[in-house]
Amino acid sequence: MVLDERSEGSKVEATPARARIMVGMGTCGIGAGARGVLKSIESELAKQQIQADIVHTGCIGLCSYEVLVDIIIPGRTRVTYKNVKPQTVPLLLEEHIRKGEIVKNHVLSQMVAEEGHEEPYPSVPFFDELIINRPQRKQILRNCGYIDPDSIEEYIARGGYEALKKILNTMSPEQVIEEVSKSGLRGRGGGGFSTGNKWASCAKYSSDEKFVICNADEGDPGAFMDRSLLEGDPHAVLEGMIIGGYAISATSGYIYIRAEYPLAVRRIKHTIEQAKKYGFLGENILGSGYNLNIYIKEGAGAFVCGESTALQYSIEGKRGMPRTRPPQSVEAGLWDKPTVLNNVETFANVPLIMNKGAGWYAQMGTDKSKGTKIFSLTGKIKHPGLVEVPMGTTIRQIVFDIGGGIPRKRRFKAVQIGGPSGGCLPESLLDFPIDYESLLEIGAMMGSGSFVVVDDGTCMVEMARFFMDFCARESCGKCPPCRIGTTLMLDILTRITQGMGEEGDIAMLEEMCGEVKTMSLCGLGQSAPNPIKSTLRYFKDEYIAHIRDKICPTATCTALYRYEVIPDKCTKCQACIRNCPVNAISGSKTEVAFIDKAKCIKCNVCYEKCNFTAIK
Amino acid sequence: MKIIHLTIDDKSIVAPEGTNIFQAALDNNIYIPGLCYHPKLSQFGGCRLCYVEVTERNQTRRRFACAHPVSEGMCVKVNTAEVNRHRKAVMEYLLAHHELACPTCNKSGECGLQNIAHDLESPQGRFKTARMSVPVIRDNPVLELNRNRCVLCGRCVNVCKEIEGVGAIDFQNRGFRTVIGTAFDRPLDCSFCGGCLAVCPTGAWQDRTLKFSGRSWEFESFQTICPYCSVGCTIVLNTKNGSVRRVLSDDKLGINEGNLCVKGRFGHEFIHSPERITTPLIKKNGEFQAVRWEEAIGFVSETLGRIIEKHGSNAIGGIGSEKCTNEENYLFQKFCRTALRTNCIDNIANMRAPFLNSVLYKSVESGFAAAPLKEIENAGALFFFGVDITEVLPVIGCMARKAIKLNNANVVIANPRTIIFENTAPNEARLTYSLGSQHVLLNAIIKVIIEDKLVDVKKLESSASNLSDLRLSVENLSLTDVERLTGVSPEMIRNAAGLLTKPGNCCIVYGKDVIEDPLGADTIKTLLDLCTLIDISNRSEIHPGRVSLFCARYHNNSQGVNDMGVVPESLPGYLDINDASNKESIEKLWGIRFSEDLLSKKPLNLIDAAKIGSIKSLYVMGADPVAEYPNGKEIRDSFKNMEFIVVQDSFMTETAKQADVIFPSATFAEKEGTYTTMGLITQRSNRAVSPVGESKADWEIIRGVSEKMGHAFPYANVTEIMDEIKKAAPVYSSLSYDRLKRKEFHWPSSFPEKKESNTCTFFAIQGKSLKVNGEKEFPFIVMTGASLNHHGAYSARSRALVSVAPECCVEINEKDAKDMHIKNGDMVMVESRVGKLKLKIKVTRKSPPGIVFVSDAYADTCVNMLVCQAYTPVKIYTASD
Repeated sequence: MVLDERSEGSKVEATPARARIMVGMGTCGIGAGARGVLKSIESELAKQQIQADIVHTGCIGLCSYEVLVDIIIPGRTRVTYKNVKPQTVPLLLEEHIRKGEIVKNHVLSQMVAEEGHEEPYPSVPFFDELIINRPQRKQILRNCGYIDPDSIEEYIARGGYEALKKILNTMSPEQVIEEVSKSGLRGRGGGGFSTGNKWASCAKYSSDEKFVICNADEGDPGAFMDRSLLEGDPHAVLEGMIIGGYAISATSGYIYIRAEYPLAVRRIKHTIEQAKKYGFLGENILGSGYNLNIYIKEGAGAFVCGESTALQYSIEGKRGMPRTRPPQSVEAGLWDKPTVLNNVETFANVPLIMNKGAGWYAQMGTDKSKGTKIFSLTGKIKHPGLVEVPMGTTIRQIVFDIGGGIPRKRRFKAVQIGGPSGGCLPESLLDFPIDYESLLEIGAMMGSGSFVVVDDGTCMVEMARFFMDFCARESCGKCPPCRIGTTLMLDILTRITQGMGEEGDIAMLEEMCGEVKTMSLCGLGQSAPNPIKSTLRYFKDEYIAHIRDKICPTATCTALYRYEVIPDKCTKCQACIRNCPVNAISGSKTEVAFIDKAKCIKCNVCYEKCNFTAIK
Repeated sequence: MKIIHLTIDDKSIVAPEGTNIFQAALDNNIYIPGLCYHPKLSQFGGCRLCYVEVTERNQTRRRFACAHPVSEGMCVKVNTAEVNRHRKAVMEYLLAHHELACPTCNKSGECGLQNIAHDLESPQGRFKTARMSVPVIRDNPVLELNRNRCVLCGRCVNVCKEIEGVGAIDFQNRGFRTVIGTAFDRPLDCSFCGGCLAVCPTGAWQDRTLKFSGRSWEFESFQTICPYCSVGCTIVLNTKNGSVRRVLSDDKLGINEGNLCVKGRFGHEFIHSPERITTPLIKKNGEFQAVRWEEAIGFVSETLGRIIEKHGSNAIGGIGSEKCTNEENYLFQKFCRTALRTNCIDNIANMRAPFLNSVLYKSVESGFAAAPLKEIENAGALFFFGVDITEVLPVIGCMARKAIKLNNANVVIANPRTIIFENTAPNEARLTYSLGSQHVLLNAIIKVIIEDKLVDVKKLESSASNLSDLRLSVENLSLTDVERLTGVSPEMIRNAAGLLTKPGNCCIVYGKDVIEDPLGADTIKTLLDLCTLIDISNRSEIHPGRVSLFCARYHNNSQGVNDMGVVPESLPGYLDINDASNKESIEKLWGIRFSEDLLSKKPLNLIDAAKIGSIKSLYVMGADPVAEYPNGKEIRDSFKNMEFIVVQDSFMTETAKQADVIFPSATFAEKEGTYTTMGLITQRSNRAVSPVGESKADWEIIRGVSEKMGHAFPYANVTEIMDEIKKAAPVYSSLSYDRLKRKEFHWPSSFPEKKESNTCTFFAIQGKSLKVNGEKEFPFIVMTGASLNHHGAYSARSRALVSVAPECCVEINEKDAKDMHIKNGDMVMVESRVGKLKLKIKVTRKSPPGIVFVSDAYADTCVNMLVCQAYTPVKIYTASD
């Protein structure tokens, strides 16, 4: 059996004979300083002469607690320490490994005992019981941050490749497709097309070559689900792809991945090599007679290459420009051969469905949207991170229960779901359950799952402008509505934020939203007006304030600032006078400060320096 | 193919399955606005203007016509209010972006954007404009790219990639800054076919030869035939105030589907060149002097009469023209054979390859010329043998690429040089054979076809009378010997044989490198054997296919001049001159009696006769043997010894310089007539402008001289000459001059269709090969051939072409160049036993080591000074200034 050919990699044992230290080395962890922590652990282990294995793991989804270090000592449960810094390392090692004592100040949680015989620590909360984790159902992310993503053995130990073995031994491609259809899985890339239907329609076409493509060109601002999956549990994605390939009888596969994700690229390359070594990939997979090779294509940084047809052109070496459909990709996609293209997260769902059954999967979620969805929770939120919730969870649960609400005593204002193609949802919709249909209904879309929380200090016009700027820049230039229309809309928005808005601008924007949506060729152009549309729908007042009163209610649009001192609040401390770079402020110990608007360059320094909010 | 019924705007139409709505509407004269769709290009779908309302399967949706296929019972509405509102919005966006420079834009009046904006009654627009502002690109002599006027319809990108196979341009940047451009913004480096210009719906691509010399609505248009190569592309001349201002192509006209090469599209400036000869000239005391027509004609008739008296009529030779019309050439041979009473007539094409006419006629008889040139587009297998398609017949290259796109055609290219033919064929075989080994190569292919049973041998045995002979002829040929002789590996030969025998149509084009080889006659006969082989195997009921054989002629009427009998051995229409009944019928038609000595069994090559002095006087119509015929120095000397030379030409060619009298002749644009292409198609050319200066059409000049000499030709116009040609030449008998206006005439169509029951006979010639080697003193072999950018005297007087390719270069292999320490642009002397030339070096991979290539298409570079035999050895050394 191929599985016996284990030649390298760490030993997988539920209760290791010696201590294991696991450092969260996703891109997020590294960004938070995991490299320094790792170095310090290495040197400290040597110094204290402790025998322990160091393991790199992926992102567990708790960005605000990075750097995370997990420690397992034989016979005890796995304990997670949060916000670890190099200087806390000696203490952790000393206390936890040497003495077996928990470091209370830094401990976050402990994991549930895997096989039941590890002894839990008293008074340390279990990971799943953390407030943050309670509304979540970590199915897809179950391995992220838990295992060493570079080790296929750890993946296998957690039930990996069982699904592949099962389908290759017991199921026909048709049965696989049927199972996926029954599960109700829908594309996680944004469109929400039924995965089963897509596979079925591709399987219909016979051809000498067929392709299965994994779209890992995650480009939405604020989205990092796919990256985390690829960094934290690449084998799950690969297994899903192989199963998909088997279902449609694909001859080869491609993973189109952003070159801006170097760690993910490295991981997935390693993953493919390992899978080949174990016979999960390549010729005659697990003796079934099915052959599949998977190649990696690194993207060159164009957002539009996340569009399926543009992505296929890009793989072919052509300029990434979407084409018109029909023919659909399932009929004539990559190199005009039948092709199935799915998102990273979609593929990661597949092994789960195969293992636990469509029935089990379909229990989760709502009527039409099944399963769980991963969101990357960012923006003005206390605990940003990667969250996985069942479909139908409300926005309030995500923002307040999981995310811990808005920091710095600010108020929740809106949430932008679905990136530049999505929409802004206001406070009144906080109790709205999230699934594909409901989001469309209220003017947003699932998108790939970026979830940006906005507080009351954010100007919605400026935000719409930001997203429109993004779309205008990233347009491939093929069709005029997207190439020119977005630029014209951007011009209008820019004018509005600069106080040069005109009556009629709103009506024009509304008209253009419809035109650009209808006339654009691909999803990028069709959804580009969404941020404007939804902000116009829910925050029209702000537009009117900008246009009619030339005021930015949140004081974000610098061009609309008029800095004035509120005489009653001014304590004559002269902090503003000292810090003004252009000496536009006059005043003295006896005189209230005065801002000369002719000289003022609106740099906002006085506003920030005033400790008495005397400047507005 | 399934036929789909649908209605567009309440009009019921039918369209083949798979057509898109836009094309279906186009075919039925229903207008849908659109800028990016073009019938000959693949669908792009970027302009978004062809938005329509479609009802199918009881659902009404809005669709883009170019991107949506027709379906049974579909109902399309082109102009609903909603559709128009959205269309208008897109047009507004385009106009907000587009540089509105209509007053100074050459495209104004014929601009797609302008027209659609006008049709849609586009208002001024809601927008403060967001104009593009990037510099205009003028980095080449013929094309100008103003990207501020570009709507990014993608047509030029596609035409460059799909039709011309070059792919010089593509999209750059993203978003609003997206533009068309070259890689890394380098200067445009392409074949300058101007395809981009022809398909551009706006004024983004501009013809620099037009400059500001006229507006679109001021031009008169004349459909005519390109005067350069033998493909015979249809061009449209735009004239204003009696002068030609530009050349357009029309997708719906001619065999070329709107495709042209750089010469056809930009090489029109010679028509009004200041170098044109505008008056008759007589050489007095070594200097040409302008004289009146009467004086010149009088002088010529008098002198010719005197020479006939003195030396007999066979002392006068006549050289016909590969560039003049059929009518003129017919009249020329009639003039020579009646007024001058000489049969010493010929044309350069026939002098170079005297066997060609008979083999070509044979191929027509065997049915391998049954299809017109356009057949190449339907080919399933293409074989280019000894012809540099890209340089010689660029538009055939476009047709071939279409065949590759539509039918996935196989391509086999056999050439002694590594010629460039950009294409996307999945199956391509390149046979780069050593010089002189072509015949063996062909025999090897035949051997593989028979022995590997790539054809149905049973069918062969029943259809061919002497298959055993063919078997015998290739029996002793071993593929290892072939590899030794040709340098082509057995695998490559097997591969090529396999590709050629693909079921379906097979088109074979052979060219100069085959014809002018000493074994040319045998090679072409063996090529006919190959055609027969493939033809028999293609006679299946499932995939019926036919084989077509084309000879790449050099000039636009190289075929016609031979059809018209400007050759010593046959009368018009390839009637044997030694056949008494042919002679009699012509005598009856012409109302004369041929002298007995007109007929000679083995006529001597005219130039050779001139060299030995048996020809005392020459009458040359529109030909330049001094510059074109091999061994130029000898020709020059023999021409100097000639008593009297008359030349009809538009320019002071090398031959004209030797003349005693020059008649100024009109160019193709100034006269009417017909030309016959290499596809054996006769097409009509129309007069666009009046003759420049005092020049006259060649037939008018001959009519004048003949009349003066007492043989009045009563023709009032070319139609009357054509009427006589129909009587004289049986192959032209079913031609109708009036019908030529609408449809070209394909003369092999008058031959009876080949029956399957007919048995075929093979020539079965044993493979032969020459050993072509350099000599100790002259280590290189020089090859000559056509050039994409030039074609003799006309192109040399077209400023645009001269600036695209200013001078003739000698192409040398990079290895040779490295060994000799010479680099691109160095000046070298190329010297053979008979002469030498100073040329610029071009280092390439096209020529194999030991072979250098010099184009003979540059009028200013007389390569014939160098060349004295089929493969002339030369030496190359750095030129000292």
